[in-house]
Amino acid sequence: MKTENTNRIWPDLIVLNEHHTLSFDELIALSGLSRTELQQLVENGALNPEHLIETSFKNTNISTWHFSSHHLVSVRQLSRLKRDFELESNSLSLILVFLERIRELEKQLQHLDGAN
Amino acid sequence: MKFKDYYEILDVSRTATIDEIKKSYKKLAHQYHPDVTKDPKGEEKFKEIGEAYATLKDKEKRAAYDDLGKHGAGEDFRPPPNWGGSNNGHGQGNPFGQYSQQNGQQNPYDDIDLADLFANFYTGKRQSQSRNQAMVGQDYELAASISLEDANIGTTLDLNFSVPEQDAQGLVKQVPHSFIARIPKGVTNSTKMLLRGKGGKGFNGGTTGNLYLNISFLPHKLFKVVEHDLFIDLPITPWEAALGTTVIVPTLQGVVNLKIPAGSKNGQKMRIIKRGMPKKNGEHGDLFAVIQLVMPPNLSDSERELLTKLKEISSFNPRAHFE
Repeated sequence: MKTENTNRIWPDLIVLNEHHTLSFDELIALSGLSRTELQQLVENGALNPEHLIETSFKNTNISTWHFSSHHLVSVRQLSRLKRDFELESNSLSLILVFLERIRELEKQLQHLDGAN
Repeated sequence: MKFKDYYEILDVSRTATIDEIKKSYKKLAHQYHPDVTKDPKGEEKFKEIGEAYATLKDKEKRAAYDDLGKHGAGEDFRPPPNWGGSNNGHGQGNPFGQYSQQNGQQNPYDDIDLADLFANFYTGKRQSQSRNQAMVGQDYELAASISLEDANIGTTLDLNFSVPEQDAQGLVKQVPHSFIARIPKGVTNSTKMLLRGKGGKGFNGGTTGNLYLNISFLPHKLFKVVEHDLFIDLPITPWEAALGTTVIVPTLQGVVNLKIPAGSKNGQKMRIIKRGMPKKNGEHGDLFAVIQLVMPPNLSDSERELLTKLKEISSFNPRAHFE
């Protein structure tokens, strides 16, 4: 079989953490969830934008949400659970809140593990 | 081609209704879904379950699968002549036409995985319908482990993997890729990285999928890592703890001298600032040396004599609060 792109170095590697943000459109493209589903997550307070960036285009101000890129990890997990368990859209906010809570608790557990 | 018994995988009979198939799939998904279970084999097992469900929940795919006949799991087999043709009762043409039309090939099914075959099910059948429909390429995840030493200074990873891709004839084949990924210093354990446009190819102008790289740290013989902080067990003798001493402690950036104050306790953490893992902003986490009081495995005569004397003269009672 033919091997493609042998020994190419990936220059555009993004670490998904709090130092890198993604725009709302990027999150839609990457998450596997629809615009409406993501909007609902934000409106329900399950997904919190890092900041709002305002740009001007043809004398019109456009506001765009930006999210810390680490949210992509839990939102993709949510998207997989929705697909594989055929979940209803209105349960997604609740599940994301629990996923984030589990992530925080696991982090705290890791700290306690290291410290003991 | 190796046979996979999708009914056995989903733990249902061959006459199961769609509701029974769905119910069993959901039960197994709760047990093995990689986002739910801690079972290290969960991901592999769920892949099989998902593959079986994707085929059996679809009426046409299930009919085509049933037409393959019953074989033992893992058994080499060939689909019967005209399998998947318009005679499957659905009258919509041959969904596997692209395989059977490979002229000059001994057996076009030889290097095909059953999953890839069914993933390709509608390609031939609905090619005309989907000709103008853009489809985004699939996302993939890769896992790689690096040492703490490499994470401390940044490293490169040589990654080799295969992803299923459609060729010019519309056949799904595993295509090998080989890339070098630069891992910057400052990553933490379980870091996820995004490689845009390195996943499966899109169809009909659809964008290429993405690749996610999950970085974990290999276990280290001395250090435990929590985010950017490191922890090391620091064994000291009871008399070093009682009297105080200075010990040499290894760090990822070389050794340091650490002063142990008199009266140190077992489990006490000594913080050595900026000797942990690097952070993205140029800062460093800290190293925590955790005091572990250890006794010599065998006491010499003079050690025993001195300890006996200490026992006789000491009035310290660590269990005074019991009284």
